[in-house]
Amino acid sequence: MPAVTPLEAEYRDWLVTRLSGYLRRPENDINVCIPFSEYGMDSVAALSLFGDIEDAFGLYLEPTVAWDYPTIEALARFLVRAGSDGAL
Amino acid sequence: MLSRLNDTPCSGDPAEGPHGAGTTHGQAGATPDHGGVGLDAGERQIRERVAAFEELLGDPHEAGNPFGNAALLEADERGELSVEAERALAAFRLNDEFVPRELGGNLDRIDGLARVLRPLFRRDASLGLGYGVTSFLAAIAVWAAGDEAQRGRTADLLRGGGRLAIAYHELAHGNDFVRNEFSARPDGSGGYLLDGRKDVINNAGRAEGLVLFCLTAPPGQRGPRSHSVLLVDTAGLPEDAWRVTDRYRTVGVRGCQVAGFSFERCRVPADALVGRQGGGVETALRSFQITRSVVPGMVLGGADTALRTVVRFATSRELYRRSVLDIPHAQATVASAFTDLLVCDSICLAATRAVHLLPEQTSVYAAAVKYLVPKLLQDACYNLSIVLGANFYVRDGDYGVFQKHVRDLPMVSLGHAGSAACQATIIPQLPRLARRSWTQGTPAPEALFRTGGGLPALDTDRLVLAAEDDALVASLLAAADRLEGPREAGAELAPVRALVRALVAELTRVREECLALGPHDRTAMASPHAYALADRYTLLLAGSACVNVWLAQRQDGGDFLADPRWVVAALTRVCRHLGLPLPEEADEHSEWMLAEVLGRYHEGRSFDLYDTHLAGPLVDDEPAAARH
Amino acid sequence: MVTTPRRTAPAGLDWPLPHPSWELGARLDRELGDPADDAGVHSYQESIRLDEGEEFPAEQLAALDLWGLAEYYVPAQYGGRLTDYQDLSQLIRMLARRDLTVAIAHGKTFLGAAPVFLSGDHAAARRLARLVRRGARVSLGLTERTHGSDILAGELTAENHGDGLRLNGEKWLINNATRGRLLSLLTRTSPTGGPRGFSLVLVDKDELPEGTYRHLPKLRTLGIRGADISGVVLQDAPVGADAVVGGVGGGAELVLRTLQVTRTLCPALSLGAADHALRLAVGFAQERELYGRMLAELPLTRHTLAGAYADLLLCEALNTVAVRSIHALTSELGVTAAVAKYLVPSVVDEIVADLGGLLGARSFLADHYAHGRYQKLARDHRIVGIFDGNTMVNLYSLVVQFRALARSFLAPADHRPRLASLFDLDRRLPEFDPGQLVLVSRYGSSIMGTLPAAVRELRAEAVGRPALARAAALAEELDRTARELHERIATCTSTVGDAAPASFEDARRYSLCFAGAAALGLWLHSHQAAECGPTGELWRDGLWLEAVLDRVLRRQALGGPARLSAPAAGGATETDLSERLEARLIEQYQRGSLFSLLPCPVAEGPVSC
Ligand SMILES: Cc1cc2nc3c(=O)[nH]c(=O)nc-3n(C[C@H](O)[C@H](O)[C@H](O)COP(=O)(O)OP(=O)(O)OC[C@H]3O[C@@H](n4cnc5c(N)ncnc54)[C@H](O)[C@@H]3O)c2cc1C
Ligand SMILES: Cc1cc2nc3c(=O)[nH]c(=O)nc-3n(C[C@H](O)[C@H](O)[C@H](O)COP(=O)(O)OP(=O)(O)OC[C@H]3O[C@@H](n4cnc5c(N)ncnc54)[C@H](O)[C@@H]3O)c2cc1C
Repeated sequence: MPAVTPLEAEYRDWLVTRLSGYLRRPENDINVCIPFSEYGMDSVAALSLFGDIEDAFGLYLEPTVAWDYPTIEALARFLVRAGSDGAL
Repeated sequence: MLSRLNDTPCSGDPAEGPHGAGTTHGQAGATPDHGGVGLDAGERQIRERVAAFEELLGDPHEAGNPFGNAALLEADERGELSVEAERALAAFRLNDEFVPRELGGNLDRIDGLARVLRPLFRRDASLGLGYGVTSFLAAIAVWAAGDEAQRGRTADLLRGGGRLAIAYHELAHGNDFVRNEFSARPDGSGGYLLDGRKDVINNAGRAEGLVLFCLTAPPGQRGPRSHSVLLVDTAGLPEDAWRVTDRYRTVGVRGCQVAGFSFERCRVPADALVGRQGGGVETALRSFQITRSVVPGMVLGGADTALRTVVRFATSRELYRRSVLDIPHAQATVASAFTDLLVCDSICLAATRAVHLLPEQTSVYAAAVKYLVPKLLQDACYNLSIVLGANFYVRDGDYGVFQKHVRDLPMVSLGHAGSAACQATIIPQLPRLARRSWTQGTPAPEALFRTGGGLPALDTDRLVLAAEDDALVASLLAAADRLEGPREAGAELAPVRALVRALVAELTRVREECLALGPHDRTAMASPHAYALADRYTLLLAGSACVNVWLAQRQDGGDFLADPRWVVAALTRVCRHLGLPLPEEADEHSEWMLAEVLGRYHEGRSFDLYDTHLAGPLVDDEPAAARH
Repeated sequence: MVTTPRRTAPAGLDWPLPHPSWELGARLDRELGDPADDAGVHSYQESIRLDEGEEFPAEQLAALDLWGLAEYYVPAQYGGRLTDYQDLSQLIRMLARRDLTVAIAHGKTFLGAAPVFLSGDHAAARRLARLVRRGARVSLGLTERTHGSDILAGELTAENHGDGLRLNGEKWLINNATRGRLLSLLTRTSPTGGPRGFSLVLVDKDELPEGTYRHLPKLRTLGIRGADISGVVLQDAPVGADAVVGGVGGGAELVLRTLQVTRTLCPALSLGAADHALRLAVGFAQERELYGRMLAELPLTRHTLAGAYADLLLCEALNTVAVRSIHALTSELGVTAAVAKYLVPSVVDEIVADLGGLLGARSFLADHYAHGRYQKLARDHRIVGIFDGNTMVNLYSLVVQFRALARSFLAPADHRPRLASLFDLDRRLPEFDPGQLVLVSRYGSSIMGTLPAAVRELRAEAVGRPALARAAALAEELDRTARELHERIATCTSTVGDAAPASFEDARRYSLCFAGAAALGLWLHSHQAAECGPTGELWRDGLWLEAVLDRVLRRQALGGPARLSAPAAGGATETDLSERLEARLIEQYQRGSLFSLLPCPVAEGPVSC
């Protein structure tokens, strides 16, 4: 597994905090490699994530971003890339 | 003429709450749910009869059971009443419930009658009405106004398994039945000649006896004394002078044999007249006070099954990797429906017992319960249908009974007196009651709110057409006083107190608006505002019934019904229905109520105040998928 | 603001119709014949007969094919006549006012074909267009026996096999599954599922080898009893690679985007049903004598009828804006469709129940009064709230967007789409571009966003026109309510997945505010033109707007549906409002017009009295 950069770690931490709030679960219960759906976040709910991320980091994302990157790990890695591309 | 339906003295014996855990499950045992110790004979009889009836009805999920869901749905599809089921009801001597004890039947308590019929309505309203209650609706006029011979004949007919049809209404005049045209003219030799049609009459084509509401005054002299009630034996009618008209198909209670009849110069003997000539309207209005009070309490059974069916669905259907019942919204809907059933049962309890305890006030309460209960039950079923989703729409299969009960329910708000007609009965009485009873006034005796226990004999002569007093509202005020006083000072009662205060404040507003009602509001030209007041008033009565049922239980030391949480949930629902801003302490206690629903569901106990044991095996949580 | 020259209303009954879509609907209705004429194929009598026998309305559907209804399901770019979704909406509405079974049985083809037409797969769309225009029926297969709303739980699989795919599994509770020729199926293409694990496959049963599929028996349903509600089982059914529409893994997204459009069209079914129920109730009230008067004279009856009419107009206003937004505000359709699909069927369920109370015993008799039409439509209509995304699913999709909705309302971004053409009935709509459909609206709801400015505009108009004062006051109250609501949903929705019951209640209130905002926008932008038309009296002095806002606020004040009987404060003005509105209702009834904000004659013609 490639090393996690500080920026990626920041995204991860942020996502873990957010999800633990949304899902009412302690942070250390959330595994970054497990798909959101396994935590009971259905596909419709997952769509709402993009707006929060946009707000927090000033990125411009597709609403389906959490469908295409369905774990915290994948999503954080994507966000690093999206940020460096200046998003879209 | 004094007509007493029983002679059981008011035992004053505080009935034990109906909350004992049903311990025998696995098969339908005839064991009454509650020990029965310390119960008076009347109460014990009711409980035994309910238990025996439930045992007769058997497991609703058993394929071959004539009272099972599958058989009842099929009968409904065919538009028939199952012969087998009717035969079983006859063998059970169900008609005895409609015949006063002194005439050899079981009837002595109106609340008991509602409770005994409820298990049947839990299965099928078509059988409930078509086999049973229609005969009672007819017979009550004879019990109230008939002479010894008529009472004896009617008792013999019913006890022999026969049927009575009741023809008050004419389709052309609906609730305005004083304008009915079906006539009975003196034939010159003491008898009558019948002329005219009656349409949409249950069992018209298969009843041995008819109770007919007829115009007996000469044309042009129409008024409150122009109609009379006649009791007619169809076997004795000249064949060519009357006929049964075509059957009407209906959306609900499809099994009921609704038809009509047409008479042409049909001669009936003098002894057909029930009560005085010209006394028909009064007899009808008195009879209605009893029938309108008692029928909603029976019909509650249908909503019990609707709720049970949704719980069955919600515990077994999976969605988003969990059961539907794990969805908080579904939980809340189920819990609220149960709470609404308790609210309904509380007002049913008060209304049926008021017939015995407060006959002078029954005219308002009968109309109130007939108006409010069907409305609350229909709203609850609508909400439950949303949880059932597509399965609500499928007529057969596991959940098919739900749509049947939903189709059947409106019949109850239509049959003898629609909602608006009930409100119209209440409205003209409101200003007087508001003036006389809504600030002071004598509260109802505590026995009104007991879920069991003896009652004074029914005396139909004490039923009057306009209420003199309003003890149920006075009891709301009394409950408020009690909750504010030292006797119920506990902090744990703060929510009850706050909710009762909210209801009392609403009462004050309703009172002011009632006092301001104009003279035109006493007629059919009443403003929509007056109808809205009647609606709010009935909800206040329901609130009073709930809090007082709870207070009575506290006294008697029950468990579920003595717990303040159910009454807080119930009063919260009442406030919601009233559209009041909820006090901070309001709480539907969804989780706790849901746990109660699930407990009763799994152990097979009824969703009402009586918590009775139901027939059938314990319910396990087999997932739906596994059944396919 | 107004771009086309004003028309003036001519005297007499044969007015020129100001809106082509309403005119098209009227033409369909006229050409289907007077439904009260028992001899017609499209008569009420025939509908009842088919319903009773649970017979499929084959003859009716064939006649509609002949009329060319299916042309309106096919976008013009693929050779059909669908250019303006208002046309389709009005056609469905007019069909539904006669018989929901027929409207649903025929209209299902649009639902089935829509994912293909919206997918951007032109080859597939052209192939399908040819078949649809020739009368082939298309079904939409999402649901399975044990899976409903949770479309990502589907178990019907499509696996690669040679050059194509092999389908295995079952779809159940599917409209026209047996009688239809084609099926748009949502299939699982990845064993692990997930939002990218499903694909839409268009299956032509005529091309499947024998023995690879069979039909499941027709289900007995509460309403639309004649419809073919059945299922299909596929067993190693082979399809070509080109049967996959919208790409492998793109099925869920395509379906959700398509549902935004179809959910916006379903409310037309409800509008038709409400018209039918109200027409029956007004007719009954006018002929029924009770207590020595006509029922129609009793204040309670008049109040009930006026309330139902106001509710119908509320639904129509919301739906008109929603359908126009398919073209003019496509990127926010996710919000708009959910509001319309939830609110309109729910309110119409209430209308139908209230009017049933008015009809009394006659609502319960299956064939005695007016053919038994009421009981049929009451049973039929309950399906509209269930299929194509049920009540809870729509409310839930609002709940998950609460944060974005609140954000964009309370702190609007610079982004402001131009909404004039959305609200102005006299303006042409831009062409619909399916490419702009997105699963979640990025900027919340611009329709809701217009509320504060619209309220100010109405207040300004009311300064010189006292007749508008009450409407303006109600609008201000709506604005306050909307603000409070957004503040609340901005803070209290920190969870997803298991939304609290209170959130659903907020979503209900949100939908009501939204409907109020839509109505306000519609009135402001269209009243000048409409006031000159034949329904001008409804528009003048903000009559319908005031009535509609009143209904919205009353529902806001109450915890749940119903119990609208209590008149709000201000008794006298309110009775007056109810009476003025009722006069318009009776006029539309007697003239033989659709109960509508816009003129549209119905085939029964004027009522002689
Ligand atoms: C007559 C008829 C015709 C139909 N035609 C078709 C067709 O042609 N094609 C097709 O694919 N389907 C069709 N359906 C199926 C229908 O569209 C689905 O059944 C429906 O959309 C949802 O499924 P469900 O009602 O089975 O509920 P489920 O999804 O099983 O849900 C059960 C209950 O859970 C609750 N619920 C669901 N989601 C949520 C949530 N997010 N939050 C809170 N509560 C929730 C609801 O109360 C719901 O009723 C048809 C159904 C009928 C009755
Ligand atoms: C299946 C079925 C079985 C029946 N069986 C029997 C039977 O066995 N015996 C029998 O006697 N009858 C029977 N009936 C008749 C039934 O009881 C009457 O039809 C009913 O009570 C009143 O008639 P209606 O609904 O025509 O109402 P109507 O009185 O004509 O009411 C029509 C409308 O007027 C309104 N209205 C009525 N009164 C008022 C008011 N005071 N103020 C304002 N608005 C008002 C109502 O709300 C309703 O909107 C049966 C009916 C049905 C459907």
